[in-house]
Amino acid sequence: MSFFKRKIELEPPAPSAPGVAVSVQGLSKRFGDFVAVDGVSFEVGAGEIFGFLGPNGSGKTTTIRMLCGTIAPSGGGARVLGLDVAGDAEAVRARIGYMSQKFSLFEDLTVDENLRFYGGVYGLDGERFAARREYILKMADLVGREGELARNLSVGWKQRLALGCAIIHEPELVFLDEPTSGVDPLARKDFWELLYELAASGVTLFVTTHYMDEAANCSRLAFIYRGDIIAIGTPEDIRVREMHDEIFEVESSDVDAILTALEADEDVQEVYLSGALLHVNMGSGGNAAERLDAAIVRADLPGTSATSIEPSIEDVFVHLVTRERSERGVI
Amino acid sequence: MNLRRIGLLMWKEVLQLSRDKMMLPLIFLMPVMQLIMFGYVVGADVTNIRTVIVDQDHTVMSRDITEAFSASGYFKIVDRLDSEDDVQPAIDEGTAMVAVLLPPGMERDIASGEQVPLEVIVDGSDSKTASVASGYAAQVVASYERERLTALGAVPDGPGIDARVRVLFNPSLRSVNAMIPGLVAMILMLSVSAIMSQAVVRERERGTLEQLFVTPIGRAEYVIGKVVPYVGIAIIQTLSVMVVGVLWFQVPFYGTAWIMALGLLLFLFTGIGQGLIISMISNTRHQAQQTTMFILIPTMVLSGFIFPIESMPAAIQPLTYFIPMRYILVIARSNAMKGAGMSALWPQFVAMAVFAIVVFGFGISRFRKQLAD
Amino acid sequence: MMSLLRRIAAVTRKEFIHIRRDPRMLASILVLPVIQLLLFSYAISFDVTDVPTVILDQDRSAESRDYLASFEHSEFFRVVDHIESDVEADRAFDTGSAKVAVIIRPGFADAIARGDKADVAVLIDGSEPNSAQLGRAYASALSSTQDRQILVGWAESRGMDVTSMGSLSPQIRTWYNPDRRSADFLIPGLMVVIIMIVTIQQTAVSLVKERDQGTFEQLTVSPIRRGELMVGKVLPWLILAFVETAVIVAVGVLLFGVPLRGSVLALALGSVLFVFSSLAIGLLISARASSVEFANMAGLLVSFLPGFMLSGFAFSLESIPPALQFISYLFPGRYMVVIARSVFLKGADVATVLPQLGALLVYALVSLTLASFAYSRRL
Repeated sequence: MSFFKRKIELEPPAPSAPGVAVSVQGLSKRFGDFVAVDGVSFEVGAGEIFGFLGPNGSGKTTTIRMLCGTIAPSGGGARVLGLDVAGDAEAVRARIGYMSQKFSLFEDLTVDENLRFYGGVYGLDGERFAARREYILKMADLVGREGELARNLSVGWKQRLALGCAIIHEPELVFLDEPTSGVDPLARKDFWELLYELAASGVTLFVTTHYMDEAANCSRLAFIYRGDIIAIGTPEDIRVREMHDEIFEVESSDVDAILTALEADEDVQEVYLSGALLHVNMGSGGNAAERLDAAIVRADLPGTSATSIEPSIEDVFVHLVTRERSERGVI
Repeated sequence: MNLRRIGLLMWKEVLQLSRDKMMLPLIFLMPVMQLIMFGYVVGADVTNIRTVIVDQDHTVMSRDITEAFSASGYFKIVDRLDSEDDVQPAIDEGTAMVAVLLPPGMERDIASGEQVPLEVIVDGSDSKTASVASGYAAQVVASYERERLTALGAVPDGPGIDARVRVLFNPSLRSVNAMIPGLVAMILMLSVSAIMSQAVVRERERGTLEQLFVTPIGRAEYVIGKVVPYVGIAIIQTLSVMVVGVLWFQVPFYGTAWIMALGLLLFLFTGIGQGLIISMISNTRHQAQQTTMFILIPTMVLSGFIFPIESMPAAIQPLTYFIPMRYILVIARSNAMKGAGMSALWPQFVAMAVFAIVVFGFGISRFRKQLAD
Repeated sequence: MMSLLRRIAAVTRKEFIHIRRDPRMLASILVLPVIQLLLFSYAISFDVTDVPTVILDQDRSAESRDYLASFEHSEFFRVVDHIESDVEADRAFDTGSAKVAVIIRPGFADAIARGDKADVAVLIDGSEPNSAQLGRAYASALSSTQDRQILVGWAESRGMDVTSMGSLSPQIRTWYNPDRRSADFLIPGLMVVIIMIVTIQQTAVSLVKERDQGTFEQLTVSPIRRGELMVGKVLPWLILAFVETAVIVAVGVLLFGVPLRGSVLALALGSVLFVFSSLAIGLLISARASSVEFANMAGLLVSFLPGFMLSGFAFSLESIPPALQFISYLFPGRYMVVIARSVFLKGADVATVLPQLGALLVYALVSLTLASFAYSRRL
């Protein structure tokens, strides 16, 4: 009965090599005419903190949802913890954890009730639940607040409780979809400490983020842009392989004016704000410092100085996206 | 299918419901409020129609006619006016809906064998009361005439018709008796489709739905865990309506429990299907609410719940066959009030079953599909 | 002053954008009222006609046929079947294929010939009290008329001059709506119900939704003052409610030919006060609601029960219990229905509906004050 079951028959993906937590093989997803994910392939090793980066709408969340088995791929396949996500979704879901940017707690349930619910859902027995509950309450710094409604917790605590709920069954692999969005920098730092601890205990973490400083925390990175992986490797690899351009940090008394001037300058490849500072990409044509100085002179804005810097992950990201955009003819 | 997970989902749902301090009382108060309003307001027997008498005759006869109107129980004489000119203001201000004009010289003219018109003015701006009032007025005058002729001795004990108009099944014409079976169906639908769709959509708004589906919870488990608490609520509501109906309104039940239960069960599945469809096509609770309204208003109007279907224009009547509530209303009313059984109600049962299969099936398939994409 | 207006305009614009972005919301604001209007105007009718009737004539005489002909000629009854036995009547009631059965036993004509009362049984299915009630009235009236005719005929056949005794014949005149058209009766009231449903439903969630989504903390820290926020949020609905009122009046007058006899000013004044009152009820719900679900259900309940049932729009409030009478006065619908119906059908002017206008004015003032208190408390 095709009316009740809509299952697209796909070839099961090739078995993954030992030590590989996630193996994605030509995975794609179409929603009508829109191609959200376009045949991506990559692997995530066990124990890695794998960063999955890309602008909004580039296909990050769709990929994660296919890997978690909540939506079916339209083409290709993936193995998660050795299991075919399309064919064995339920077994996959029992062994992974997932935390979304919405934190997805039951806000009108208490801390304890949230834990109890997820503990039960993952089939934890009484003894194991008690142990895990204690561990998570300690980890999330929620001891003594078990009876509080999740709604009344502040963002940082909610975030840690959500992580706790996602790992209550000690999964081997945790997907985190923008887990730090909307959280203040200090809480973000604390949260990453928790992630490091988890990774140290052997858990594989698959993290999406749009905070570029967080990307540097990952052991490996993949950039996805409009449904395609455009770069993959360790942060260092990517920097070396993809970035041959020279980057400068520009300080000026009038950032807006210099931004406008340099954007218009043909010799400047890219110019963008990074925090409060201006980053300028002068391309890989050599004599970068001289050319930039000339451009600043042309702009005729006194009180402007430039320093050459090591390209950050963000610089690489901006560069890659700009390159892709111009190659695809998208403005 | 894992019973423990279903149990957890239900436990969670009940906890969440109990946390909303205003919602829970509303859920249980609502049916009783509806019952009282529908019971007392819809089809309240039109009696005590406010009537003014313009008696310009001032004779025994004019007083007798006035008395006949007042004794009929349908008309309540609120004022006696002297002039016809006073009728208009009385009707405009709404102090009266009916005016009976007894012209000067009426008794004398009749005695001399004339035909005297007795004018009854009815306020047509309330068309129902106007219809009822004119029917009653004609009846009052006709029986007065007969009495008069008999009393005159002209026609001592002539033949006639003794029409015994008997109302079956609901002799007192109490609207509550007819409303309760319909209300039970209405409340079932509200609980499993309006309230449940709100709960599902809230889960989507908050992202917990997404979260649940990356856990081992299966779709079937989720649907069962979600539906059962609301079915439970619907049952409690239904029972409370029945208890209030039987104890307070003293509504009799002549039906068969299993026929009633089977009909409601089929309707329940339709309602659940409808709730699932609403929750799948709505991104916010507000949207879900709008969609519910879209369905609720035609259901109320076209099902025959309040307005009889046979009086609708011929062009509208075919539409009513697409309203599932139409069939359950016939089942519930005929069974509860007339004791009708399967042999009379099977066409409605077939229709209910078709709706249950199609709507529930579509709801479930839509639910699966939505989550698969 | 300028910045105040600008801030209000900003909130209003934001609300309008929300509405425009959400096709279903737009549909429910623009399409739903029209559907309601058409549905109510076409489908609801108190002109109960064509009530399916079966006839069991066991006498089969000229007299019985004469009597039954009066049923066949009536618009109220529609004879669907001539049946042979009581069992068939039972069955017709059970399946719902008939709602009235007229039964004449053998001996009907004989009784009349003897000068006795001839028995007729009219059975009416009471499971729909509304039409049963009318059915009872019509059947009784028909029989009374027949009764009198038979008597007169009999007396005349004996050489009595009945006409010399004079007669009293009822002449029923229906004012304002001589055909007793339901549309004329319902459309003025429909305006009230539709506006109540749309405005209360929409405003009931306004505040509680922002709170739920957390966007409203953002608004509270902005320079927008509470009063401005409330005005800004309410303004779009105010405008839409007026547009809807105008559309309903236009459709009623142009499409359904409902006469608009009275003062448009009175109608406009009433509408303004009524829309304000309904908005205030919505705001009160929104300010007090514990959750979006509650606001939705409470909005539904208030717009349906007091709006639909207790406004007098379709159901006569004459005979309801005093407690419900009292409750009906606590909602603005009841006043507005009187205003609308008086203006449309009775040609009322401001002076005629002054008591109702006054009541609405007080209502609007009190409810808006309460709403703004509740609103600012909640913020």
